Amino acid sequence: MKKWLPILVVALLVISGLLTSCEKKVKVDESAEVSIEFWHAMSGARIDLIQGIVDKFTAENPNIKVDVQYTGSYNDTLNKVKSAYKAGNAPDIFHSYEIGTLGLINSGIISPLDEIAKNFKREIPWDDFFTPVQSYYKYQGDHYSMPFNTSTPLIYYNKTFFEKAGLDVNNPPKTYEEIRAAALKLKAAGFENPVTWNLHSWYFEQMICLQDEPFVNDKNGRSGKLPTEVVFNGEAGQKVLDWWIGMEKDGLFLDVGPGWSNHRAAFGSGEVAIVMSSSSDVNRLTEALAEKGWEMGTGYIPRPEGAKGGVAIGGGSLWMTNNHTPEEELATLKLITFISEDEAQIAWHKGTGYFPVRKTAMDQLKTEGWFDENPNYLTAFNQLLDSPETLNTAGGLLGIFPEARELIQSAIQEMYAGKSVKDGLDEAAAKVNASMTEWNEVIQ
Amino acid sequence: MKQSTFNNKYLPYVLLVPTFFILIVFLFYPAIETFRLSFFKIHPWTGVGKFAGFYNFIKIFTNTEYLRSFVLSAGFTLAVIAGGLFLSLLVALLLNKKIAGIRVYRTLLIWPYALSPAIAGALFNFLFNPANGVLCYFTGIRTWLTNDKTAIIVVIIAAVWKNLGYNIIFYLTALRNVPGAALESASIDGAGSVKKFFYITFAFLSPTTFFLFVMNTIYAYFASFGLIDVLTEGGPAGSTRILIYHLYKDFFVHSKIGYAAAESLVLFSLVVGVTILQFRTAGKKVHYQ
Repeated sequence: MKKWLPILVVALLVISGLLTSCEKKVKVDESAEVSIEFWHAMSGARIDLIQGIVDKFTAENPNIKVDVQYTGSYNDTLNKVKSAYKAGNAPDIFHSYEIGTLGLINSGIISPLDEIAKNFKREIPWDDFFTPVQSYYKYQGDHYSMPFNTSTPLIYYNKTFFEKAGLDVNNPPKTYEEIRAAALKLKAAGFENPVTWNLHSWYFEQMICLQDEPFVNDKNGRSGKLPTEVVFNGEAGQKVLDWWIGMEKDGLFLDVGPGWSNHRAAFGSGEVAIVMSSSSDVNRLTEALAEKGWEMGTGYIPRPEGAKGGVAIGGGSLWMTNNHTPEEELATLKLITFISEDEAQIAWHKGTGYFPVRKTAMDQLKTEGWFDENPNYLTAFNQLLDSPETLNTAGGLLGIFPEARELIQSAIQEMYAGKSVKDGLDEAAAKVNASMTEWNEVIQ
Repeated sequence: MKQSTFNNKYLPYVLLVPTFFILIVFLFYPAIETFRLSFFKIHPWTGVGKFAGFYNFIKIFTNTEYLRSFVLSAGFTLAVIAGGLFLSLLVALLLNKKIAGIRVYRTLLIWPYALSPAIAGALFNFLFNPANGVLCYFTGIRTWLTNDKTAIIVVIIAAVWKNLGYNIIFYLTALRNVPGAALESASIDGAGSVKKFFYITFAFLSPTTFFLFVMNTIYAYFASFGLIDVLTEGGPAGSTRILIYHLYKDFFVHSKIGYAAAESLVLFSLVVGVTILQFRTAGKKVHYQ
């Protein structure tokens, strides 16, 4: 027995040594002076809002300097990150839209958030995040980026006009048929084209989610393999567009083209009585209608009668680029975490309408009585919580999502001009598939 | 007057260094790099490339949308040149008259050129956007920008308007250089004002017309991007997606770097080709004084 003891001790030492060396430990001086860069894609008054949040952070962490830059749209920001990365001076944090997720995971230029958090033993309390929010950015069990600005589409309606047309002001239309019926009544009351939303594939995607159907194969792009085929041209997609294009054909829907300003303008000037837009517009649209003395209501986006799905989140998240010193990484992690915490999220929500990503922030807003005064700010949130949690409502992932959106939007314009819904969707799907095959080959 | 000369052999080269530095960094290097990239399949993020031969060229030339964009660009360019030169010559002739307040008119008519294409686009959007465009209200037609037949017309009008000031300045200068003696002797020979314009003035304007022809070709092919981006984003259904916009989408939105490189090479050869053609044909008819 005594003979075995030293061997046993040695063996134990070796094993425990092996175990600890498995766990990567990063030693870093937390108080070292460090400066990091943060590029975001939020324009207008939101530039100051973000700067304010970062200023609070640097006041609490005087050794960290943060250079915050507004770098144009999401797309512009990603392009700038690309060139900066190639030149070796990528920002530590950048902001991307949700649809960039699968592309970024495979980009080779980012550090997965969970991995960095684990290295510094500062695990992020994901349980405190709302499930639909964190599950969008979770891929194969790991969170790759920090959810930041989170929204869903909403129906906004002009209560004053509803009253004029004899519609129930407190009960907005919820299904395709109800929207149509309301539009007909509004038309009878003198509105030339009572409904609109901008030409954007996002609504189409969301309305497929509402039917609990996927957008792309391989478990909606979440199986771990790169998806190879889109399925948006199936029955669910056709049902959405049969209704949408049908409304346009019957003169109930005003085609305002692409972009994010025309539909707001049409709603704000009283051209239309119902508009679909991002929940982050709640602030803007409330103000626009109040200026004219009209009252605004909000509702869930419409679905076909009996559809059982829900919405997926939209918006953006914060990503960390790789190849930085441990000091920079730690500072970046601290800032990213700070932005997701209650104080920052509450300020962000009140200033924009994007909803908070954490439960504690939401609870605080509720106890404050914020939603009693601003009930329209709650609608998007309830719509999300009423959604079942499935792979379809987690949101589809696709490497070439921006291109898929372009092709879908182009197809919708062809449908406005007379092409059949089925042909338009099939052609768009074929083009997306061809592009996806190419992308899958190049990215590996 | 005595002209001073430099006998140093190397001085000219030294003086050329700054120019060449700029040319190499901003022109030659990107051009060569574009040429190289057009033969590669490129990773959209890291930029690592795999040699692919003529793959990108085959792909873009078998894409029906790209071919359509080719034809569209040619039509667009012709319309911008024809409309632009005709209108600006007309305006320049009027501005060459001696009437009260002519300086004010001149300034006002040349003004649009000072705007950036994106601002010009925003102005036309103000007039034609389907939600609350001013001209939509007055014409009673909302679909100027959302109908695939009228959108291109609005874009052409906007592009012509935007470049009008530039063309007017050149025509006006040329008109003021038409020698009065030639016009006078034509009058004495009994030529009317129409004859005088076509036989005398127009001949003296031919170098300017030719120059503007080339410049407007380049403008239509390259510089109209901002207008289209603001007005239609290439839509509806690709009906205003000219080559430069197609290229923008492929590079900046779809991250297809190889395609974009091939497309810019095609666009470059096209514009060079058209310019050479213009020199060979129209250039011979130009009458220099």
